[in-house]
Amino acid sequence: MKKILLLTLLAGAWFPGALRADDLTPAQRDFFENKIRPILGDRCYKCHSTFAEKIKGGLLLDSREALLKGGDTGKAIVPGNPEASLLIKAIRYTDPDLQMPKDKKLDDDQIADLTAWVKMGAPDPRSATAEQRKYSDNKTNHWAWQPVKRVAIPEASNPDWCQTPVDNFILAKLDENNLKPNPPADKRTLIRRATFDLIGLPPTPEEVQDFVNDTSPDAFAKVVDRLLASPHYGERWGRHWLDVARYSDTKGQPRRNTEDNVNPFAWTYRDYVIRSFNEDKPFNQFILEQIAADRLPSTARNPTNLTALGFLTVGDHYMGMQNDIINDRIDVVSKGFLGLTVPCARCHDHKFDPIPQKDYYSLRGIFDSCVEPKIEPVIGKIPNTPEYQAYYRQREKLAQDEYNLETSLPRLRKSGDQEAFKQARRELQKKAHEITELELTNPAAPMRAMVLEDAVRGHDSPLFIRGEAGNRGELVPRRFLQLLSAPNRPVYTNGSGRLELALGIASPNNPLTARVMINRIWQHHFGAGFVPTPDDFGMMSEAPSHPQLLDYLAVNFMTNGWSVKKIHRLIMLSSVYQEDSANNPRFAQTDPGNRLLWRANIRRLEFEPLRDSLLAIGGSLDTNLYGRAVDLRQHPDSTRRTIYDFVDRANIADVLVNFDFATPDMVTGIRHSTMVPQQALFLMNSPIIIDLARRLVAMPEFVENVDDNWRLNFLYERIYQRPPGPEESQLGLEFVNQTPLRDELPPALAGNVSDDGKKNKLGKKNRQQPAVASSASKKRAPLTSWEEYAQALLQANETSFVN
Amino acid sequence: MNQDDKYKQEHSVRLADHFLTRRQFLERAGMGFGALSLAALFGNELFAPGLRAMEAEATLLPKTPPLPAKAKHVVHIFAQGAPSHVDTWDPKPALAKMNGQEIPGLNGVAMASPFKFSKKGKSGIEVSEVFPQLGELVDDLCIVRSMYTDIPAHEVATIMMNTGSRLVRPSLGSWVLYGLGSENQNMPGFISLRPGGAPPGGTANWQSAFLPGVYQGVSINTKVPTLNQLIENIRNPVTPLNEQRRQLDLVHQLNELHSQNLQKDAQLESRLEAFEMAFKMQTEATDAFDLNKEPQAIREMYGRSAQGNQMLIARRLIERGVRFVQVWAGGWDHHQDLEERLPERAKDIDQPLAAFIKDLKSRGLFDETLIVWGGEFGRKPTRDRNGGDNPGRDHNSKAFSTVLAGGGVRGGMTYGKTDEFGAASIENKVHVHDLHATILALLGFDHKKLTYRYNGRDFRLTETAGEIIKPMFA
Repeated sequence: MKKILLLTLLAGAWFPGALRADDLTPAQRDFFENKIRPILGDRCYKCHSTFAEKIKGGLLLDSREALLKGGDTGKAIVPGNPEASLLIKAIRYTDPDLQMPKDKKLDDDQIADLTAWVKMGAPDPRSATAEQRKYSDNKTNHWAWQPVKRVAIPEASNPDWCQTPVDNFILAKLDENNLKPNPPADKRTLIRRATFDLIGLPPTPEEVQDFVNDTSPDAFAKVVDRLLASPHYGERWGRHWLDVARYSDTKGQPRRNTEDNVNPFAWTYRDYVIRSFNEDKPFNQFILEQIAADRLPSTARNPTNLTALGFLTVGDHYMGMQNDIINDRIDVVSKGFLGLTVPCARCHDHKFDPIPQKDYYSLRGIFDSCVEPKIEPVIGKIPNTPEYQAYYRQREKLAQDEYNLETSLPRLRKSGDQEAFKQARRELQKKAHEITELELTNPAAPMRAMVLEDAVRGHDSPLFIRGEAGNRGELVPRRFLQLLSAPNRPVYTNGSGRLELALGIASPNNPLTARVMINRIWQHHFGAGFVPTPDDFGMMSEAPSHPQLLDYLAVNFMTNGWSVKKIHRLIMLSSVYQEDSANNPRFAQTDPGNRLLWRANIRRLEFEPLRDSLLAIGGSLDTNLYGRAVDLRQHPDSTRRTIYDFVDRANIADVLVNFDFATPDMVTGIRHSTMVPQQALFLMNSPIIIDLARRLVAMPEFVENVDDNWRLNFLYERIYQRPPGPEESQLGLEFVNQTPLRDELPPALAGNVSDDGKKNKLGKKNRQQPAVASSASKKRAPLTSWEEYAQALLQANETSFVN
Repeated sequence: MNQDDKYKQEHSVRLADHFLTRRQFLERAGMGFGALSLAALFGNELFAPGLRAMEAEATLLPKTPPLPAKAKHVVHIFAQGAPSHVDTWDPKPALAKMNGQEIPGLNGVAMASPFKFSKKGKSGIEVSEVFPQLGELVDDLCIVRSMYTDIPAHEVATIMMNTGSRLVRPSLGSWVLYGLGSENQNMPGFISLRPGGAPPGGTANWQSAFLPGVYQGVSINTKVPTLNQLIENIRNPVTPLNEQRRQLDLVHQLNELHSQNLQKDAQLESRLEAFEMAFKMQTEATDAFDLNKEPQAIREMYGRSAQGNQMLIARRLIERGVRFVQVWAGGWDHHQDLEERLPERAKDIDQPLAAFIKDLKSRGLFDETLIVWGGEFGRKPTRDRNGGDNPGRDHNSKAFSTVLAGGGVRGGMTYGKTDEFGAASIENKVHVHDLHATILALLGFDHKKLTYRYNGRDFRLTETAGEIIKPMFA
């Protein structure tokens, strides 16, 4: 009976495509409804239907169209040919990598039914519902892929509140949700917020007083303009960008036995970033320079711009694994500028976003057509001094030694003398280390740029099947991402294609670039961006909280010469920026995450502004800009700003880790903001805080004035830039007039954790090790009541938070 | 009214208006904040409902798991870098036969393991010579030979192994701490030990992500020469503890006044807890890390090495009720020089881990402590093309071995199989999610029910997957 039925059904198997509903015979329809639909429904829809909690493999099996379209790995079925159908392969469990359903193999009868069904041409009465179509269209309809729109400014329900068009957008959303914006913050809170936001330091008491006394309507605009003009602005915002650029002074995993771990010129890129922000370099220019400064005519006039290429070259060296280095460059370019996770397409088409694997290899070809020169080019004038000449002779000699060793390697390898070969490699690494030391420490060593250059001839990359370098597929032309291109996208021909890539990214027609940067700026002013994932605007990201405002600002950005400073000004002069941070339980019910910004967010300071502000409060901050890195573990008494710290990606300072420093191994558009005990320990016990407490109380004004209330006021102004309230004064007076408790200190814990602690390689790589001696151990005297009080103020929340 | 006076008036809240009197406040401060629910401290009405529920749960107090449990603690030794399974726990004689020849379908040349395997223990499981001491304990070990993961890239796979995801998700240790709390309120309940710099992925490997910060792992660099540096700033060089207590009480009062002018923010609250924990850590934590308090014989048993110290610290932490200890023991990325370098890494952990197992047994802690050793993925049976004359193996996400012991795990068994070359797991395959589901089951949780609501969705460690591997249970 069964055989007869099948024969009848197979009569319909001549059609080339899957049989459509209209073409189905009643027998075929019955077969589908009785045999096939129950299997699909019971065993497949859980992961492969529009209503699945999570759709697996991009494959839908709940409509004829979707079934034919297939999933991430290709077409699910070839009607009429079960042997060529992935679906049949999967249910047969013959391929260990493709076994469906995952939980349990289907019964043999069920497998036979599905096989027969495909063989007969997969007659399928189902058609796509509107809901199902929506999913398949999503890949092209996702908001972030749409062009940036010029949007009309919404009518304001409360024009008085709206100081800038930004406010109209904010207010419209608040109105929709029956929320109201908080009243403005008081002036002291506001200037503190603005100063930390723009320069990463607290305002001085004088700056606060000036602002408080300035009753002119543009008083705050003056503050904003002053801060934007401050050279410390670049130190604050440059650091945000360095988080994205996964900046480090070391290579992480250097090429084994031939390279030194340190990038002696990474700082030139760091300084480039600071300078660019200070100069308000147009952001599109900033993009072009970081990807292709060497190909720009403007670089001929200003060769210092070559240092911009550090963006590409300060990444990890992955033990010299070229494919990983290239991957890192694709990563930083795509996430950093476009909010796209292109490296997900290294092994297969992107699982969520329309980025085919081929696109990854288009970019791979570009970066594979680039080289880092052996010796970085000198930037700026070479001084003709005896010191420089001495440096130069030494550098030449080291380069010669290095060259000799390098050229000896192939010969030694061939000779089969393993020991000699290894010895030469060790020597080579030693030479590399000596060169680094020379460049790092010789005062006459000139500045060099960590450039990337185009190879003599640009070439396309083959696709690596499943991302495996040994498994080569077709050649993929170098060109821009399909998602961001018009049809017939041109092939890159200009050298490696880096400049063309940069132009594609910096184009005003690119829907992502401006939005991604606007989102970053907004995030650093409010604690959260419109899109909470600043490095991923793909289909897995949350939709923006204010899509219209995002586009308004993006258009504004591009039409105002991509000026970052103008955007700051626009945002900060808006009422939404100037709200206070008081809570409102009713509003918190509606919008607990404050995504709609009915109040200002309270934000914990990152480590850099925290440490810098402690130094500033004590009056000891070194305000010099730029220059070589200083390792704060080696020089704990240094008062340079924290951005100049030596960042070792292989060995991040504990204090940075504890305060959620951006991991330099990946693009970090947003840092975590945790509260862990180590942060408290830093404020309770670190030498920097104890020294600062002593320093404050030793200030001449403090010493000369013996009035307790005056002193309290002095400390409050100095630390919080405000006078104490009456309750605070009372608490303070009580505390300082009690005698400190003087138990014996616990014995110093100097015991070694391990006996080999001394023997481990600490000495050899002392650059990376924490310094043992600190200034605190020099001064063992207990703190006075006033010093303890000052320290308490520094430990309290107000020091570590901006509200 | 001038600006300053106005400011003062607006910003001065008298303590008498506050819902806690100062005395009550100090009493609570003194008794330790771990025992306080946050809502109790700050008043329910000021928390949004979602936040309140979330934060009220954010405690380290010990909790009973919903199901019968074998294990109470977890020690996860992370062999980061992806150890070669065919050179350690998964012998492949076929590779020796094919050495130097192309393996069909694998696009490479077979590389025989340079190491000898031999049968060990009553179970007769074959173990590589690189693990002489662990080999002797094979009857206590459950060797999973059929692990697989999604992506053969270190950082992604390392984070995947620790969080079950490639996105920002809570780590395994954070989930366990969230589910079980800790038995010691004076120390962090989840401690990550690392011998030097941060591993790939950094803090993502012990992050709490959207779980409250109290569940985040505390990362400690064990490769510093003195206890004072082990936890940076663990001691105040000039202020005695009782005076510091007085100072800290003042800080809390200042914060109270300050926070009344702001929203009652969860961040401020967790910062208060962080200070209290820091205060207690100053004495309790240093003691836990002070290996000089261990007898010489024990020190020798573990070996005076970076990993010896880490495993001994791990035992001291477990003894003190720490719930989850992550031990970084990496360096397994052997693309080249495998013959020379792999045994070095194996030697690093062989004696310390063997000593740890024996030590836990003698203290009656073995059965309640789940030990996991493993990396983020495995390696190919073929030569890495980049290895040159000193070959190694390239990444392989389709097969690797993970070893479990103690805490309700059956010893002396292997689970699952790879193909004849070890290129891919083929029988009883265990995905990272399955391993996580099994670990949670051993701790008394249904992995599908240990959830946390965030952004309107109930998240869990195993996402939408995870099968419990029951045959591993004792």
